[in-house]
Amino acid sequence: MFKVTFAFEDGSVVETYANEGDNLLEIAREANVAIDAPCSGNGACGKCRVQLKSGELDTKKTLHISDEEFQDGWRLACMSKIIADVKVLVPDIASAYKSRMKVADLSSKEEIAIFENAKREIQLAGIDLRNSLDVIEVKMAPPSLDDTMPDVERLSRALRKFMNLKRVRIPYTVLRKLPDVLRNSDFAVKCVVRTTPDDMFVYDIFENKEDVVIGGLAVDIGTTTVSAVLINMENGEILAKSSAGNGQIRFGADVINRIIEAVKPGGREKLQDAVIKETINPMIHEMCRSISFPEQQIYRMCVASNTTMNHLFAGINADPLRMEPYIPAFFKTNSLFASDIGVEINQDAHIIIAPNIGSYVGGDITAGTLVSMIWNRPEFSLFIDLGTNGELVFGNSDFMMSCACSAGPAFEGGDISCGMRATDGAIEACTIDKETMEPSYQVVGEPGTKPVGLCGSGIIDVISELFSAGIINPKGKFVREGERIRHDKYGMGSYVIAFESEAGSSKDVEITEVDIDNFIRAKGAIFSAIRTMLTSLDFDVSMIDDVYVAGGIGSGINMRNAVKIGMLPDIPLEKFHYIGNSSLTGAYLMLLSTPAEKKTYELAANMTYMELSTVPSYMDEFVGACFIPHTDSSLFPSVE
Amino acid sequence: MPFNQKPQKFNAKINSVTIGSGDKTVTFGGDSTFPFYTFDAPSENCAKVGVEISDMGLEGMSEGVKAYYDGASTIGEIAKKAAAMEGADFVALILEGGDPNGENKPIEDLIAVVKEVAEAVDCPLVVEGCKNVEKDAELLPKVAEALQGRNALILSEKEENYKAIGAAAGLAYNQIVGAESAVDINLAKQLNVVTTQLGVDAKKIVMNIGSAAAGYGYEYVVSTMDRIKGAALGQNDNMLQMPIITPVSAETWGVKEATASEADMPEWGPQDDRGIDMEVMTAAADLAAGSDAVILRHPESVKTISKMIKALA
Repeated sequence: MFKVTFAFEDGSVVETYANEGDNLLEIAREANVAIDAPCSGNGACGKCRVQLKSGELDTKKTLHISDEEFQDGWRLACMSKIIADVKVLVPDIASAYKSRMKVADLSSKEEIAIFENAKREIQLAGIDLRNSLDVIEVKMAPPSLDDTMPDVERLSRALRKFMNLKRVRIPYTVLRKLPDVLRNSDFAVKCVVRTTPDDMFVYDIFENKEDVVIGGLAVDIGTTTVSAVLINMENGEILAKSSAGNGQIRFGADVINRIIEAVKPGGREKLQDAVIKETINPMIHEMCRSISFPEQQIYRMCVASNTTMNHLFAGINADPLRMEPYIPAFFKTNSLFASDIGVEINQDAHIIIAPNIGSYVGGDITAGTLVSMIWNRPEFSLFIDLGTNGELVFGNSDFMMSCACSAGPAFEGGDISCGMRATDGAIEACTIDKETMEPSYQVVGEPGTKPVGLCGSGIIDVISELFSAGIINPKGKFVREGERIRHDKYGMGSYVIAFESEAGSSKDVEITEVDIDNFIRAKGAIFSAIRTMLTSLDFDVSMIDDVYVAGGIGSGINMRNAVKIGMLPDIPLEKFHYIGNSSLTGAYLMLLSTPAEKKTYELAANMTYMELSTVPSYMDEFVGACFIPHTDSSLFPSVE
Repeated sequence: MPFNQKPQKFNAKINSVTIGSGDKTVTFGGDSTFPFYTFDAPSENCAKVGVEISDMGLEGMSEGVKAYYDGASTIGEIAKKAAAMEGADFVALILEGGDPNGENKPIEDLIAVVKEVAEAVDCPLVVEGCKNVEKDAELLPKVAEALQGRNALILSEKEENYKAIGAAAGLAYNQIVGAESAVDINLAKQLNVVTTQLGVDAKKIVMNIGSAAAGYGYEYVVSTMDRIKGAALGQNDNMLQMPIITPVSAETWGVKEATASEADMPEWGPQDDRGIDMEVMTAAADLAAGSDAVILRHPESVKTISKMIKALA
């Protein structure tokens, strides 16, 4: 056994033990040390860099590490085997994706406004904000020697009479506290119940004097990021909000790698634990602690996520999703309860899952579609969710069509050498001076935070500005020279946005031709999907009345720049609306309103799913779109 | 009911690009119809045929080709015979010996070959590189320099090395730039866009949009050429109006139909005949799909294809 020490830039360390020949990345995963490995550890992506501080490693050298860097101790964790006691430094950029969990007791005004706005719009569409959960007060006659009915029967009788019901169900959790609560409150109690026309389920019981809030939990499980809100189910008030990196990231950046990991022995449990035990449960505890709210009083949960994520969350074999003919285990399920999968809220809480439409168009899109309200307008709207998979919905109140395209993780900073999620240290906006080629940028975080990398919105800005300044050509290759433009020994160009001295990490923040190429492919996938879907309906972009853009790409996208690089269609900018994380907002609405939940099932059932891979012209469209702004420049008349 | 012919008129035409100097020139392109649609409009310049010779001499050439060049011992003599071939419009010299994965001849040796050919013949010249993008990026600018005044076609710049080759051939030494892409209409157009952004005149570019020997997968070549012509003429897309040159021989003489010996495949017939058949079939299809010029190797193929062009023009 050898001792392996992982040191972090903040000075903390994690120590573990390993056998000779063990893989360093595997050891890190087992020790819960987060090292980004989007390629699943096969030496392809070069992201799992660590620096050897002492001891020895048996490392296979790859192209990702230059000779000088190798001299300095840099190694790829996935290519390194343990041969002795060793201490390695895990640099910030590698662990940046695992942002500190962020909990806000009350979200910012803008964020609250998104939820308030969604509530108002859904009500205007004639959908009631009501659900089947209620707090009811019951007063019973205390038992006596003449009235010897037991507690359960006494409560049941009172509730049946009160609501004129056939049946009342009292679970063990209530039974256990029933005698005490009844006697402490002199048989005047409050019950949290779910009522249907002839049946009632009692979730909880409290003394009459207690002020009971029915908690609900809406969660968006993204491939990269998980976000959640804790709400009051009676009025929709947001009590707490939280977001964190999806703990599954260490098993691969995209859904395919996750599925492959899940198929390995014990993998399904590992993946489920990563998202529930390591991600969602800590988020629940943090939110509850921040507002002193008992976890047990969360009686319902709604999850919106892509098809793979909801399968892995529910612990269901997702392997058929990735293989022809790509069949999910479910579109819709209503048989999931908190106790089934270990979500630490009330164990009888029902978990609603936003319905899937296809193997690659999931509940995040149906929930987002609900929020976009495109189903309630006669005008034609386009809804775009920019994530690891790009998903599109186009239509109006008469029809809706959806498709998914594989954009890759570039929008969330994956596959980009200095890419990162939109967390502290991410450059989220940038301009470049055309003459001097000097950048100025905005960084996420407290004022004075130094840049560490680029998030999606920052990448869009940098590429658009590099193109406008004539620094890169439409292929994304560098055509100007200057202090900030470098070429490595293979001739690959890069542009330095922040030199090491200005940056918050041990590396320059730069964008390379390979990064630009990856991003051009991502934007090409989105634009060609838009064109292919519209063409199949005999529409062109001028017929789009509104475009709703969603996704965790950054605090906001500069739409002008997104059009300039040919990612979004060249239509008047006022037609674009950024609606934030519509998956979470949709989950919130489904949680709060049973009619909204039903509406979402209806939307999902009525949406036509188009499989782009079966459209012969898609590849042509895609290659045409892999150019800035597009090979057919007549599609972008406003870009000179 | 009488047949009433409606000519398909386009308000656009393929660029006319002339190579060669003095009174020895050929012009590619110039038409405003699909290939051989002379019933729509007469052809300005009929398609052209070039003869391929190599810096490697006659090594690896088929028996029939060797027989034609019998007695020619230097590259200059070979070039003279090639220029004199029946039906030949130009000579195409391929510098395959420069390939780092093959002979890896030094650039000076190759330039000497280019100079010897240029001195031996005064017909229009096409020079092809060794196909290795790094080597070509060094080699072809030198070729462009060596051929100053000849108005030669330099084949080819690719996406990876267009800056070096495009700038040297198209800007510094005033030659014609060959732009090579991989059988995809968008990639062909993208390379033309970035080349013209470099400052190269669009009217001094000839495309090689990639080819294959007739057979499985060849339909991509036909479809790509056909759509390029359609966009150039129908949509007046000036980034696709460059004439197309297709080096046929380099593809067809490498496939099994041409390389299998008669001893191995007696039922297939004489090897030389098969090579000619592959070359003629592929060239005919390329021309019908949209090539404005083809490069061939065997004298029999050159004769046959030029006859076909005259018969259809």
